[in-house]
Amino acid sequence: MNSGISRFVLWTFLGSVAGAANSSSAATPSGPASSDFNRDIRPLFAKHCTACHGGVKAAGKISFVYREQAMALGKSGKRAILPGDPEGSELMRRVTSTDPDERMPQPDHGPALTEGEVAMLRNWIREGAKWSEHWSFVPPQPPAEPKVRDNTWSVTPADRFVLARLEAEGWKPSAEASPAEWLRRVTLDLIGLPPTPKEFEAYLEDRRDNARRAKEKVVDRLLDSPRFGERWAAMWLDLARYSDTYGFEKDPHRDIWPWRDWVIRAFNADMPFDEFTIKQLAGDLLERPTADDLLATAFHRNTQNNTEGGTDDEEYRTVAVHDRVNTTWTAWQATTFGCAQCHAHPYDPIPQRDYYRFAAFYDNTEDCDQNDDFPRLLFSQDLTRRDEVTRWQLEARDLRQLLNMEGLAAVAGVSDWQTLVPTNAKASGGQLTVGDDARIRASGTLPVKVTYTLTLPAIQGLTALRLDIFPETGDPKAAPERGQVLSKIAVSLSSAGVTNQPVALQELIADYLAGPFDAARVIDSGGGFGSYPVQNTSRRAVVVLAKPLEAPADATLEITIDHGIASNSGVQGCPLRHFALAFTKDTRLSAFASGSERQEKWKSLQSLKDRLKDQPGTRVPILVERSQPARRDTRVFVRGNRATRDEAVTPGIPDVVVPPKKEGDLSRLDMARWLVGDANPLAARVLANRLWAEMFGRGIVETLEDFGTSGARPTHPELLDHLALRLRGEWRWSIKRFLREIALSATYGQSAIVTADLAERDPFNQWYARGPRVRLTAEMVRDQALALSGTLSTKSYGPPVYPPQPDGVWSTVYSGDKWNTSQDADRFRRAIYTYQKRTSGYPVFLTFDAPTRDACTARRLASNTPLQALTVLNDPAFIEMAQSFANRMEVVADTPAGQIQYACRLLTLEPPPRSVVDALLKLYQGSLDEFRSDPASADKLAPTPERAALVLVANTLLNLDLALTR
Amino acid sequence: MNAFHPFFRHADLMHRTRRHFLRDCASGLGALWLATTSGRAWGAAGVAAKDMSRPLRPVPPSIRARAKRVIYLHMAGSPSQLELFDYKPELARQDGKDCPASLLAGKQFAFIQGVPKMLGPQYSFQQHGQSGQWVSDRLPHFASVVDEVCFIKSMYTDQFNHGPAQLLMHTGTQNPGAASAGAWATYGLGAENQNLPGFIVLTSGGKNPDAGKSVWGSGFLPSVYQGVQCRSQGDPVLFLSNPAGITRSQRRRTLDALNEINEKTAREVGDPETLTRIAQYELAFRMQVDATDAFDITREPESVHKLYGTELGKESFANNCLLARRLAERGVRYIQLFDWGWDSHGASESEALSHGFKGKCQSVDRPMMALISDLKQRGLLEDTLVVWSGEFGRTSMRENRSGLEMQFVGRDHNPGAFTIWMAGGGVKGGISHGETDDFGYQSAIDRVSVHDFHATMLALLGFDHLRLTYPVSGVNMRLTNVTKPGSQVVKAVMA
Repeated sequence: MNSGISRFVLWTFLGSVAGAANSSSAATPSGPASSDFNRDIRPLFAKHCTACHGGVKAAGKISFVYREQAMALGKSGKRAILPGDPEGSELMRRVTSTDPDERMPQPDHGPALTEGEVAMLRNWIREGAKWSEHWSFVPPQPPAEPKVRDNTWSVTPADRFVLARLEAEGWKPSAEASPAEWLRRVTLDLIGLPPTPKEFEAYLEDRRDNARRAKEKVVDRLLDSPRFGERWAAMWLDLARYSDTYGFEKDPHRDIWPWRDWVIRAFNADMPFDEFTIKQLAGDLLERPTADDLLATAFHRNTQNNTEGGTDDEEYRTVAVHDRVNTTWTAWQATTFGCAQCHAHPYDPIPQRDYYRFAAFYDNTEDCDQNDDFPRLLFSQDLTRRDEVTRWQLEARDLRQLLNMEGLAAVAGVSDWQTLVPTNAKASGGQLTVGDDARIRASGTLPVKVTYTLTLPAIQGLTALRLDIFPETGDPKAAPERGQVLSKIAVSLSSAGVTNQPVALQELIADYLAGPFDAARVIDSGGGFGSYPVQNTSRRAVVVLAKPLEAPADATLEITIDHGIASNSGVQGCPLRHFALAFTKDTRLSAFASGSERQEKWKSLQSLKDRLKDQPGTRVPILVERSQPARRDTRVFVRGNRATRDEAVTPGIPDVVVPPKKEGDLSRLDMARWLVGDANPLAARVLANRLWAEMFGRGIVETLEDFGTSGARPTHPELLDHLALRLRGEWRWSIKRFLREIALSATYGQSAIVTADLAERDPFNQWYARGPRVRLTAEMVRDQALALSGTLSTKSYGPPVYPPQPDGVWSTVYSGDKWNTSQDADRFRRAIYTYQKRTSGYPVFLTFDAPTRDACTARRLASNTPLQALTVLNDPAFIEMAQSFANRMEVVADTPAGQIQYACRLLTLEPPPRSVVDALLKLYQGSLDEFRSDPASADKLAPTPERAALVLVANTLLNLDLALTR
Repeated sequence: MNAFHPFFRHADLMHRTRRHFLRDCASGLGALWLATTSGRAWGAAGVAAKDMSRPLRPVPPSIRARAKRVIYLHMAGSPSQLELFDYKPELARQDGKDCPASLLAGKQFAFIQGVPKMLGPQYSFQQHGQSGQWVSDRLPHFASVVDEVCFIKSMYTDQFNHGPAQLLMHTGTQNPGAASAGAWATYGLGAENQNLPGFIVLTSGGKNPDAGKSVWGSGFLPSVYQGVQCRSQGDPVLFLSNPAGITRSQRRRTLDALNEINEKTAREVGDPETLTRIAQYELAFRMQVDATDAFDITREPESVHKLYGTELGKESFANNCLLARRLAERGVRYIQLFDWGWDSHGASESEALSHGFKGKCQSVDRPMMALISDLKQRGLLEDTLVVWSGEFGRTSMRENRSGLEMQFVGRDHNPGAFTIWMAGGGVKGGISHGETDDFGYQSAIDRVSVHDFHATMLALLGFDHLRLTYPVSGVNMRLTNVTKPGSQVVKAVMA
């Protein structure tokens, strides 16, 4: 291996930020003259100091994360930093001390600062210890036009930034790539599939008139291709942790592919990224949301759902909320916000409270780790009907809310509630006790389906019962209590000669509607009212009788409360454990409930539901915001532990990234708008960097996932700001316009040849003195083989498909799910449509570095392993493609040489050189000889020995380094 | 540029690439992996220097290593410590009584509701060997090698569901996404045998572990460190064998053509990745032979098959134990076995302590004994650490699912106490470390957390667990979980 590209890593000590110091030097090949805080000092603090004097720990009350703390008096009464006076600064004394008790970092924590580092620090203090915010938190500024000596090379403004840097280093760009090289690169990059020889011919033809125009024509054709969205959606699915399953133990199937299709369509339609963002994060909160607006919110329903029996629903709901926070900050902000979950961020100025303020944006959605992925919305597969079917569902939801609100208004008029004290209260399991305060408490082992029976002398003229459900302790700082939900309530009368004569109930009016169960059904077929899966506050419902109670004088009233709802994947019962009843004789309630106007509304609700019952479509999990009275109480978790809750917080955005100003609470929609607004310093840079990295194999900031102190610094900061500002401003967040500019740039259009000099001086091509040469993504490895073999199905969208996969790869516990290999064209669909199972990914993709999609992945690292070789050589799916490829060769040409030349042109566009044809002909002839003497082997591959030999040729071509890179 | 028709050719480059290509192939240590996109420093491996272009090259450990490799036997579902190793006569006396409120306060269970009944040990116990260690009558063969075994009876965890608890046990974190212990071991030490994966996973019991493949994932480490699951049906390593109709000589022929064209590309384009790729294809070709041989247990003599109780052609724990020994012999760094089916709730016959559990015990008893004695006899036990564990323990109370008495007898999940054992690899044989309370319900004396256990395992492999780290999002991550500081090496178990 070339020593120029080997990297050796030396000790980095416990608690240091590995890479921080290194990355700064990577960004500045020539040494600094005067000190720059972000370039020189912050990385030094991060490397040597912040483990003890940072966000997590501020030993001696000194922290080098926040300016005020760094400049303040320490616990010792001394000042660590006295601007302008290095000799008077305690920091300098300590880092230069030779006394092991005094020296910082303490000898067992890490090595002393080098002389160079000490000098840098001294210089910085002498110059006044100027502190500046970390670069990525400072809003991008339009950079000055770079000055270049060569004014002919640049094609786009971006090129000038690259060239200026190269000229500063005394380097020259490489020559322009050949038409074939450029066309293959740009086609794979933009649509994820190889170009055809016909497209190549057309391009050559166009070049004759005008090379620049010809390139534009190609790029415009690719950007308009329906294949474009399929390629770029793959990038977004990694960030969105998209999967066709829930994750965890049983890893059940999830119907969320309509969202994946929404993403593909959005990329194809070039939906501006701000709109793309707002719809996904808060489409449900838009005024009159369309079906697509709601479908977009499934982005954050790609969180894992733990259905293992006995797993705490609230725990995994919280995990999902935090995952949404971390994903938002990774995908849009490239900030390691998750660090602030347990304590203040160790290196970046983000206090822990900010984490929970942001979490409050996501803490009020209805989903709560239910096995059915509640809440879901039905999406018609017929796109023309989607909005209509969605509208019915929203109308039904609104009407149900209206009915309850009107009910609550009627209840508010009743004031003569009287406490109801049962004379007898018994449970079918466990015990019930009625306290002096008439509150009823349950204890002992309560079966999931426990029934409570309360009896008392009948109350003449009773019109309604009121049920209050109280928390057991009600401490908002304690871990949430298990929920309390009744599934059915019934009332009956017994008197001499008549037992348990049912009393007709009219309806149940709830304090608010929330959760997965239908409160209205509690009085008849069974539903659910109460808090579920956990309870923090009291709940109240009023059960209205059909008419005022008429009972014989000696009659007994019996109230039966049934249960059957269990949380934690259906194993932990949620019966009432602390409740009380009251009653009223106010006749207005029963009159209101049985009034004809109200009955009509119930009927329209029912007809809406009936209409929806048989609608074909797919039920997709989406975000649904809980109503105001149902809002959850979001609190800071002490040390990130959800069992120890601290102060309550309201939704908010950290100060460091310039939050919007608004009276009252910010909503999730405000947050989404801010994210893609002009005030946010990060999102445009992060997207520009990500798109750049997709085209060049490496970001301007190499750590796509981390723009913070611990991440890499931009190699071309001005270029990054230039691109970010144009993306957000001039191009109005259009991804296609951005990519068009890159694809047509001179930087991108260079030849990728690595000269010995370039290999030595810039092994990773971070200065772009040559064109990019990158391994195909996992998806492209499959898609290219499909395209070359002529089997690729261009069918778009729809449920996931099952290309060939070896038996036994899927063997998930407690799951009957089977991999039923697709037999029709679905067998040959693009990779993005392959079934994505979290606990058992498609082997080829994992081998080629696709993530498992357990969590947001901002960057794939390309590996190069023997398992990849075995896969493309031997995987039956690739053999099948080689067979079709061979077939294709045989159809087109008669001689082996002609067949080989044709195949090579499919792969590289140009006629192959003699030596390549010879190598493949030798392979062909050798294998043909063997197949002829071993026809049984040949039979297993192809109908004739000749075709079998061509299969080996095809197999070889698909494995070439030239094939696996772009 | 047409890659086949270079307009640029550099004699020096050609010379260089050729020379390096030959050197790499000759040494058999061609770089397995190169982070093509990365120019950053890789974290502190706790070793002198790590060349990340050769991620699996053997690297010496940073402190004195007692074990060179690990064979980890994970009983997925978690066997009851109270029916195997943790003998509790007092629990027998409480059998059938209501569980005292003090044992329930503040506890969360997977299935138990309200006030369950105490459940005494279901099998009898005896002391065995010179060390006089307690083992129940379920494991008579294993009892015969108990003098080699070091028990830790005071293990505890903070996860009481299978998936999260298994993730914690293998990655130090309860959520998916962290690196598994095997990935850490191959990251820190490299592979002894370059022709086999350094981290191999074998499963039995018909299912993968509950937490899925994340328990042997590389998480945030480069993917080259992930465990390779080897199968008992079909190819042991996915796509290892040539497809039907392609003989080894035909495969050689295709590789020759492939190499010829790739070498041309390497010369003309000059991308070092191409050379790496050539080396990978040659390695794959060698792996086809070496891995096939390693996984062919039919090459073992009859006496060995008898010793382990193997069942040829089937997926079994016994076969996997024999495979583990063959892989250990060949220098595989980390061999992870999962045996599924130990979740003895009592909700059905197969998971009842009185039925399914008996069969599971029988299926592992002889192979565990065989593995330890076979390794010992071959001199491999001294530098091979064998570990046996579940992911948590089981309750001292009988499960009462849905608040009802169940048809079969079983125990719920208990994070408060469980037993693991280790053998060989620098641990003391014939000892028992730590104790639980009188009911075997909570770890009580010399408590050992999962992170302590990881710290100990790494120490045996020659690492300071605080220094075997990898930078992730600004934090130097480690197996012993940076967010829960304070893990300790259990020195008492080290020889």
